Amino acid sequence: MCATIETEKLTKTYGKNRGIRGVDLTVDEGEVFGFLGPNGAGKTTTIRALLGFLRPSDGRAWVFGMDIRKKSVEIRERVGNLPGEFALEDRMTGEEFLRYFGRLRGVGDLDHAWELAERLEADLHRPMRRLSRGNKQKIGLIQAMFHKPPLLVLDEPTGGLDPLVQEEFLEIVDEVKAEGRTVFLSSHVLSEVERVCDRVGIIRDGELVEVEPTDQLTNKAFRHVSLTFDRPVDPKPFAALPGVQGLSAEGTRLSFTLYDNLDEMIKLAARSRLVNMEYERPSLEEVFLTFYGEGENGGER
Amino acid sequence: MSGVRTRRQEWLGRHAAKRRAPVGTLLALSLHTVRMQRRGAIIWGVVLGLYSAAMVATFPTIEGMQQLDQLMQSYPEGLREAFNLEDLGTPEGYLDSQVFNLAPLALAFFPILASAGAIAGAEERGTIDVLLGNPLPRWQLVVGSFIATALSLLGIVALMGLFSWGTAVLLEVDLSLSTTAAAVLNLWPICMFFGGVAMLFSAVFHRRVFAITIPGVVLFGMYLIDVLGKVSEDLEDLRPASVFYYYGTAIKDGIDWTHFGGVTSVTLFLVLLAVLAFSRRDIYT
Repeated sequence: MCATIETEKLTKTYGKNRGIRGVDLTVDEGEVFGFLGPNGAGKTTTIRALLGFLRPSDGRAWVFGMDIRKKSVEIRERVGNLPGEFALEDRMTGEEFLRYFGRLRGVGDLDHAWELAERLEADLHRPMRRLSRGNKQKIGLIQAMFHKPPLLVLDEPTGGLDPLVQEEFLEIVDEVKAEGRTVFLSSHVLSEVERVCDRVGIIRDGELVEVEPTDQLTNKAFRHVSLTFDRPVDPKPFAALPGVQGLSAEGTRLSFTLYDNLDEMIKLAARSRLVNMEYERPSLEEVFLTFYGEGENGGER
Repeated sequence: MSGVRTRRQEWLGRHAAKRRAPVGTLLALSLHTVRMQRRGAIIWGVVLGLYSAAMVATFPTIEGMQQLDQLMQSYPEGLREAFNLEDLGTPEGYLDSQVFNLAPLALAFFPILASAGAIAGAEERGTIDVLLGNPLPRWQLVVGSFIATALSLLGIVALMGLFSWGTAVLLEVDLSLSTTAAAVLNLWPICMFFGGVAMLFSAVFHRRVFAITIPGVVLFGMYLIDVLGKVSEDLEDLRPASVFYYYGTAIKDGIDWTHFGGVTSVTLFLVLLAVLAFSRRDIYT
């Protein structure tokens, strides 16, 4: 399997502080990769560098094996792109816009565009200036996907969409993946990333701090534990266990977050009569906020 | 090594996208831009055409006014030359002084605004990322926008010519179609020159205000140099530095094709510089 996207120490600086530094990233063919980070972390900068809109200050990157500095047009032939700040000429309708982009791409058959419009309930007949943000976003998604590119690069794709349309979009992403195409999806909506992404890269303050399969990221983290006994138990031995945090006792129930020492916690609990145990994986959002949530500096890069 | 190459070729082949020939994307971009400019171009053409038609319509009222001729003769020769006031007794001379001498000062703002909007304006509006998300080389955005503006400007001057000539026919003013055509066509290179300046600054900066202000200052600065050069012998040597020096009076003397071609060539060079500048910088949104 070849890497669809590969970066090596990719760096883009603007002035002193902003940008991305030394990003090493590999996105494999056929995977849905979630690119996570708070506002201003460098998600958009990375995407814009990959598409040739920004010239890297240092490092290298390849998309479909092609150097982003030399083969930008060839790369964009194979990419469907939804920019983070999606804006269109106000006077054009969605249909005019899609026909225009069809001409630019040499795509005469727009059946897939109409099909996507139907699924996303997009209004293609009103001028852009009369559309809500969510309806504009639908047009943006359609223009990224209508030519069935082997790579979709979507920057905050569900912004402004209502929950039903969001769900339809995530189903489309599943279908794209099933066809063996690759999706690179930037988001700070962790639930949607968790729902569709095979792997997650986390960027913070311009540096890629983690790349993990989505389930591993949540598996390796803490667990929410709730133990219910047949009678009230002394919470102190549990609170004294290394790895237990945020313990609260309420009647016969103990609740805490467990970072480590599962075996010792189970043995300790087994000394009393346990009537129920809940052991919950945290959401990706909780993992993200716990491990990477500090250091936001606002303003997308 | 050859194994690696074969694997890469297979990989690229698997992900080959249908690519439109460059001329196809350039044509699509240019036609789209013409379509976007169409309404503005019609308004410009009708407004300037109506003004020109009004001047044609007033000509019969001043034709043969000896007092006016005497008044004009009392002006210093340099001043008469500077504002083309030497031959108000003919339709050509009258329209030259009242319309075509000043028209570039207004009409040049059509290509200036269009060129400023093509790159810097698209960056400010945030529309450039989605457009360049298509397999469109950057040079095509510059060249395609410029071709579209050039075509729209031709439409504007054609409207201006039709209004002027149509009024002349209706009011039986002695103004031929070929003379009118030469006069309006001669506006095209000088106005496109300022469009070229705007395109260059639109490509260099990502601020629309610079791409409008700088060519605007150059426009009025060059006009001033040309006028002062006609009035003052001391400043006469500066006139060749102004594009207005090469503009001439096509309605009276016909188009000077050497100057027409020269100004057009300089404009194309400005567009080439714009392509080079835009290819080397980051795109801002």
